[in-house]
Amino acid sequence: MNTFFSTILVGISSGAIYSLMSLALVLVWRSTRVVNFAAAGQAILSTYIGYEAMSALHNYWLSLPVALISGALISAVIESFIMRPLAKRTQGTAVESIAPVIATLGILGLIRSLVGLMWGNTFLQYTSPLSSKGFTVGHTTIPFSPLNAAIVVGAAIVLLIFALIFRFTRLGLSLRAASFQPEIARLSGIRVDRIRTVGWAFAGAAGAVAGALVTPTSYLSPNSLDLLLVSGFVAAVIGGLESLIGAVVGGLVLGLGFAFILQYIGSSVTFSAAFIILILVLIVRPQGIFGARSTREA
Amino acid sequence: MKLKQILAPLRSASPRMRILLSVAIGALLLFASGHVDELRSYQGAQVAIYAIAISSIVLLTGFSGQISLGHGALMAIGGYAAVLAQIHWHLPYPLTFLVGGAAGAGAGYLLGIAAARLRGPYLAGTTLALAVGLPSLANQFHILGGEQGLSFDIGTAPTWIGNDFSQYRWFFWVAVVLALAVYWLLRNLLSTRYGRRWRALRSNPTAAALAGINVARAKVLAFTLSSCVAGLAGSLFAMLLGLVAPLAFTLTLSFTLVTGAVLAGVSNLGGSIVGAVVLVSIPELSNAISSHFGGSEKVTSNLPGVITSVLLIATVLLAPNGPKFPTRRHQ
Repeated sequence: MNTFFSTILVGISSGAIYSLMSLALVLVWRSTRVVNFAAAGQAILSTYIGYEAMSALHNYWLSLPVALISGALISAVIESFIMRPLAKRTQGTAVESIAPVIATLGILGLIRSLVGLMWGNTFLQYTSPLSSKGFTVGHTTIPFSPLNAAIVVGAAIVLLIFALIFRFTRLGLSLRAASFQPEIARLSGIRVDRIRTVGWAFAGAAGAVAGALVTPTSYLSPNSLDLLLVSGFVAAVIGGLESLIGAVVGGLVLGLGFAFILQYIGSSVTFSAAFIILILVLIVRPQGIFGARSTREA
Repeated sequence: MKLKQILAPLRSASPRMRILLSVAIGALLLFASGHVDELRSYQGAQVAIYAIAISSIVLLTGFSGQISLGHGALMAIGGYAAVLAQIHWHLPYPLTFLVGGAAGAGAGYLLGIAAARLRGPYLAGTTLALAVGLPSLANQFHILGGEQGLSFDIGTAPTWIGNDFSQYRWFFWVAVVLALAVYWLLRNLLSTRYGRRWRALRSNPTAAALAGINVARAKVLAFTLSSCVAGLAGSLFAMLLGLVAPLAFTLTLSFTLVTGAVLAGVSNLGGSIVGAVVLVSIPELSNAISSHFGGSEKVTSNLPGVITSVLLIATVLLAPNGPKFPTRRHQ
């Protein structure tokens, strides 16, 4: 096993997390045409709830479903009590496209400060039982650890469940119909408003899993997921912002890109790399890998 | 509607009247600054600087319909440029402010080229990435001074202006004079054909394009100009803090500016001052509240964020077009 292959493995592991965050953004975008910048805030809140669950149950694995469910609930509440009334109020006005962006920012700020108020601004350890020390292959230790492997498996399970729901259930069909043609979906008896809330709930769950999986690799603080939000957004743009498969592929592409930059250039450029990759994608292929040409018109 | 009646002659004032008014207001403020303590002078300077920064967002969002979550980063660019110009070129401080504005404009031009192709969410996301990523650059380049940043000193007030002139009172003077100048320039600019183009663009891009407006060029121009103002605000911010450091230009700063612009009523240039006053008074208010409840460190450091965010959400929900000033219909 050489450096090249272990870099690929590490890239897939971080890419899996970006995929989940990107999926959280894409699901919301498809259902309500809003880029949900509050996704990082929702994920941080659900991760703190997961942290509390772990402290109470003394089990990391049991805290994952707790985080997932609370993430879904938080997201559904935000959609029903803030985003939906806002959309109704601003429909057809000059601020129609700007107001939701600002509202999600406000929610992000609110959740961050509330979390700080509850748990303080200190760094907490939300640890998993798995070692973050790399596997040893032959005589060398590679950067890919059991924790990374668990991240890949966990993300893959969630993505698989999502794919099955979207592809094979009635609910999934309604979700796709409501985002594809809301008017026609409404005419054919789908309660579009309610389905949108469900879409937000799925997004919240995806973000929650991303938060709960990534946090054991570093630490937990009110703004520890900011970079994840940016990475998720870049991944979503790479994938085209419309497509669920695109979100996952975009996340993996970004994860691999970061891993190679980290391995061969150095950790100092990751932040700037995200920005440069984003600008390059927007200039070279603004519709993303899977997006249709017309989707840029938001 | 009393306020509206009082403000009506101000709105329709001729450019020459506006100069006179600006000078009169400025003289009044500067006179008043002799009679307040250092803390109030500091806060007054803060208000003036925030007002400049908010007006850059009002120009961008309220008039050309673009949104930026990264103006904190553009302020950082302006601040660093001003400091570097002082350290390496030994420029006198008035010129360093110009360098700050120019650096902001340059960065804004590059960003604007990308931005002009993007609508709402893409632009918001791209500028957000800038706001998150840019401060960390300071740690990579030795010339930017790392986490500690670089110090910036514009010196004390010149002697001809008065003898016992305190430091913050001097900062207040500089900031107020520049804020009024910026306000006057923008106000006039917005009533030229550029201002009309931006308004047309914001109301309906398609109709604007059909009317012969080069949409992309108008957007890039708006972004460049807005970034120039933000860069200037950044260099003044560096003056007030006495330094530039990555921690001074966080994501929170960018969000705060957007909040200020929303509170100002996004398309109301004069509202910038309202937004700025609110932003500066929030920490005061929250200190009062938290000390009333015998606040711990957790409360004091997070309460301002809670108040700001709640204000932002409430304003967007209850008055999407901004409080107090209903949008005038564009005929």
